[in-house]
Amino acid sequence: MKKGKITITITIGLTFLILTAVIFIQFKTINQTDITSLENMREDELRTEISNFKQKSEEISKQIEETNLKIAEYEETISTDKEASELLEKELEQQNNLLGKNDVKGSGVIITLTDTKEQKITAQDLRELLNQLKLAGAEAISINGQRIVYDSYLVDIGDTYISVNGEGIVSPYEVKAIGNPTYLESGLSKKQYGYIDTKLEEGKDVVLTRQDNITINKYNGDLNMEYAT
Amino acid sequence: MLLVMAICIQINTIEAATISVGTTLRDNSDLKDELLSCQGKYESLYKELENKEKQLEEVRLSAATKSEEDTQNEIEIKRNQVLLGLTEVTGQGIIIRLDENREVNSEEVLDINGYLVHEEDLLYIVNELFNSGADAISINDQRIVSTTSIVCDGNIIRINGKMVGVPITIKAIGYPERMDPALSRPGGYLQLMANQGVVVTVERSENITIPKFEGVYSYEYITRGDE
Repeated sequence: MKKGKITITITIGLTFLILTAVIFIQFKTINQTDITSLENMREDELRTEISNFKQKSEEISKQIEETNLKIAEYEETISTDKEASELLEKELEQQNNLLGKNDVKGSGVIITLTDTKEQKITAQDLRELLNQLKLAGAEAISINGQRIVYDSYLVDIGDTYISVNGEGIVSPYEVKAIGNPTYLESGLSKKQYGYIDTKLEEGKDVVLTRQDNITINKYNGDLNMEYAT
Repeated sequence: MLLVMAICIQINTIEAATISVGTTLRDNSDLKDELLSCQGKYESLYKELENKEKQLEEVRLSAATKSEEDTQNEIEIKRNQVLLGLTEVTGQGIIIRLDENREVNSEEVLDINGYLVHEEDLLYIVNELFNSGADAISINDQRIVSTTSIVCDGNIIRINGKMVGVPITIKAIGYPERMDPALSRPGGYLQLMANQGVVVTVERSENITIPKFEGVYSYEYITRGDE
């Protein structure tokens, strides 16, 4: 009887040891797996990746066409011995629109976030919003008149205000974004896990409206790189 | 008897699991081929674009010689390309490396979340680097530009739409004496991450190279507004 118990105990012990080892090996393998490599991608991930590359290829093709057109236009000014001023100004204007050196206008969305007694809007709320707007294809963004540029940052200053590009702003925060209004709106309004539903769930006051004619002011700081060449 | 049965069931399950994993892998081989061909097509288109851009730069330069204003505008276009992240840049700065702790004993950890790197972490670090004067930033060679989004997509992170996994290398060009303390100070964000179990290292460097933005800016909806 007693001998039987010992055997069982040893067997159980051994079994647990083996199982633990198996689990451990399993974890090790998972740890060493590179989730971005092709071999480890699931079917849905493969499909997303394929459509991503197709979309990117389309964008690049469009860009190639535009570049070809520009090349042809410049070549024509050279062969006809004319000034290229207009072409240069056009290229410069496009760049300055994107960089925030020009005021820009267009259709898009306006999101208003307001502090309530219970829930204050934080710099992180605004950072997440900018991130989601960029994902949805925003071409220009401002917060309370402050243009968001490539090196903009947002930080809480105490409990009272938020600093954007080093300038203090207070609630209500009006975030303007120019881009495809449908993409911008649906990007933020995904049910349950979307930005707006998540913030409403946290008790925050967030309102989105679509607008046809939004004007976004230019950046009033200097854009330059001190250390990068 | 019971134990033997249990072990047998275990082995059977493992075999079954292996088989099902094997099947899924085989079923996906068409998709993998398609992905590889899409990727190949994208890469060759991208090379074509790079060549066209070089060509454009050359004709622009030779076309912009008729007036002083044209010459100035041509120089300004090139300067703007640097600001738009469309050129590779070099300079002094810091390199932050984040890795998930591979030595964690999973049995002792109830919440594995703290050991992982999340999109919020990367957004926060990028924000903090620009706050401390960074000129240019990349994460695993994805250049951070004005339209860059950093988002979670299942268990991977996408930056500029490209997949990024651990280990994560964040390069920032700027003044190291300002950026490093802003992030590494006691009680700072990197220390919080390290306390949670992420393996964090920060290194100052005299010579960092940050690649150019490989995406395309869209300007379908914006037009100049101050006219």
